[in-house]
Amino acid sequence: MNHNTKIPQPDDFLELLKRDKIVSDHILNNSRSMISVITRDYIYEKVNATFCVAHLGMPESIIGKSLGDIWGYEIFRDKIKHNLDKCFSGETVKYVEAFSTPQSGKRFYEVIFRPFPAVSGEITHLLAETFDVTDLKLTEQIAAEKEDEFKRFETNLPIGFLRCLPDGRILLANKAIMIILDCRGQISLCGTNLRKYYTEESLFDLHVSQLMDGKPKSFGRVPLKTCRENEIVCRISAFMFLDQSDKPSYIDFSFEDSSREMMLENKLLQAQKLETIGALAGGIAHDFNNILTTISGYAELLKDDLPDPLQSSQKIARILMAVSKARSLTNQILTFSRQMEQEKVTVSVSKVLKETLGFLKDSVPPDVIIKRNIWSGKIKVFADPTQLFRVFLNLMTNALQSMEETGGNLSVELKQVNGKNLKDILDKDILADEYALVTFRDTGKGMDPSVLRRIFEPFYTTREVGKGTGLGLSVVHGIVSEMGGDILVSSEKNKGSVFYVYLPVTLEDRTAISDLQVTKKKILFVIGNRHEAGILSLALESSGYIIATASDRKTLVREMSDGEDLPDLILYMSDAEQIKTNDLIEVIAETNIEIPVIAISDTGQELIEEKSLPSGLIKQHLIKPVSLKEIRNAIQLSLI
Amino acid sequence: MPCILIVEDEKDVREMLRISLARKRYTILEAENGKDAITHFKPAVTDLVITDLIMPEEDGLKVIMKFREIKPSVKIIAISGGGKAGPGSYLNMAKALGADAIYSKPFSLSDLMVKIDELLNIEQS
Repeated sequence: MNHNTKIPQPDDFLELLKRDKIVSDHILNNSRSMISVITRDYIYEKVNATFCVAHLGMPESIIGKSLGDIWGYEIFRDKIKHNLDKCFSGETVKYVEAFSTPQSGKRFYEVIFRPFPAVSGEITHLLAETFDVTDLKLTEQIAAEKEDEFKRFETNLPIGFLRCLPDGRILLANKAIMIILDCRGQISLCGTNLRKYYTEESLFDLHVSQLMDGKPKSFGRVPLKTCRENEIVCRISAFMFLDQSDKPSYIDFSFEDSSREMMLENKLLQAQKLETIGALAGGIAHDFNNILTTISGYAELLKDDLPDPLQSSQKIARILMAVSKARSLTNQILTFSRQMEQEKVTVSVSKVLKETLGFLKDSVPPDVIIKRNIWSGKIKVFADPTQLFRVFLNLMTNALQSMEETGGNLSVELKQVNGKNLKDILDKDILADEYALVTFRDTGKGMDPSVLRRIFEPFYTTREVGKGTGLGLSVVHGIVSEMGGDILVSSEKNKGSVFYVYLPVTLEDRTAISDLQVTKKKILFVIGNRHEAGILSLALESSGYIIATASDRKTLVREMSDGEDLPDLILYMSDAEQIKTNDLIEVIAETNIEIPVIAISDTGQELIEEKSLPSGLIKQHLIKPVSLKEIRNAIQLSLI
Repeated sequence: MPCILIVEDEKDVREMLRISLARKRYTILEAENGKDAITHFKPAVTDLVITDLIMPEEDGLKVIMKFREIKPSVKIIAISGGGKAGPGSYLNMAKALGADAIYSKPFSLSDLMVKIDELLNIEQS
């Protein structure tokens, strides 16, 4: 027998059990959770002290009562019963719900029901534990709200946020930066390197080195390239986080796209520049016209002074011709600076466009294809048709020239667009209701951005010195602006250029202001190029003249011998192939009627013949390009 | 002989006009700006006025308005080297204000002379 071994007595067991119960009760009652044992009839069989405190009662006042009694029958039915039933079917149930207790009012609880099987294994009871999770819940809710708020803030702002390592590897990026960098379609920027979005990669290193002091920095107008290799400009703010040992840890960046702002600024600057040059050039042109008046005046006086007037008249005529040429130049400058008098009529854009295309037909290089897409509806604008002709002619000639060597396509398109849709395109305070949009798209040489910026400046030319005045596009710009329209251009080197001409559409049929004549005058038009004459006819008909044309001598003679309906005036285009100046003089001499003639020529050179100018037959002499105003003035002066 | 007033701020142009008109034996008066012209205007003797439009002091449009008011029968020819006054051009406005003829610079001197004769002849007949 081992004396060391003490056989436990029944009293000891009891003692042990008692102690065990004290310990369990102690744990149970000191727990901060509400703990209870619930029977299958939803009756409390046992509750701990925390439960009693929460309900301001004693165990005796709770035990034996149903859950409905304690929590309220509605709450029991809606929030508790189904969970209890689930647990009685053998499952541990866990859920969070808000309940009210007499002690604390409404709180959030995490509830756990555990099946509490009897010895038989049948679930007769369950153990309920309820933890107060209100603080946790509130914290979570606040956090979620904050996160939500920040998300909204961050995604709705057009500011790109981005976090990267000092070597440029991107850790985090928001939606806005994806939009700014045009990375639609890409899921995330993470893992790519910020450096490669810098147009100048070395600039990134410079920025990083400037951030090393851990202070926030701003970098204005940093050139970047997008995922699609387009160039944009951003305002960047950045801040580098340093770790405890002052080593660079990561950098936070914010990006604001300032491309549009810059674009508008540039546009304004360009407009101001053109305005200034215009005012300057207009002033010079005005002074020049005074000087030219003096030159031509004295030249005319000289004619009478010279001993041999017939011999000298040729030379004097050449001086006057040069004056006319110079005058044509000053007129172009005045057109650019919008100081030129313009006579406008209501005119169909498609008519002018078609005549221009016809005029150009013979000068189209063989390997250039012209595609037309001209809206057949009537689009009318208020313009000088001869000026509009110059605009179209100039743009198309440039396009054709840019494809001279390579060949290609020129597409000419006319359509009508609603002014409301042009708010962001046209930089205008007041927009017309409708615009005629004429688009000229070529596949020629294209232009550098540096050239593109300056093409509307007068005297700016990419041609060799001496070839062309460089006035063409500036005049085009002047004419279109004067009409209340706008001209936009986009171009890519070696790909081609696109010119968009917007002209405000007019609804009313207006004729020229000075058009007050009652009896309609008949003009006989002796024409060379059918299409160019077409433009002038269009212009004069809209001004109220009756036009007859003659392109050969036979027609000319017929028109001149119609006693009933003789022309009041002859408009002679000097490039008329079948009717030379001599023919005209002869025919007029034959018919023996005094009829004023206005000659229009390219340089005037071919008209300096003894017979024509000094004979007094040709009353006025205009040099191309002529405006409707000039022709009308000439006609009015000749008809007096 | 009819008397012509030349209103022109540009000395060269004014002299050129004076010489050419003197050849035709017209009596010539000169003014170098609009204000000068208006102050020294002699309605009793002046038959025709040639006036530039853009000038310092008073411009040509003012000259036309004033002269038309003082002497409605005086003939007026306006000349201009370009420029715009608001929506209309100066020359158009000159015409609207009652100029009998308008010429943009540079113009044909012989055309101008023919016109002057014509305007004065009509006056004389």
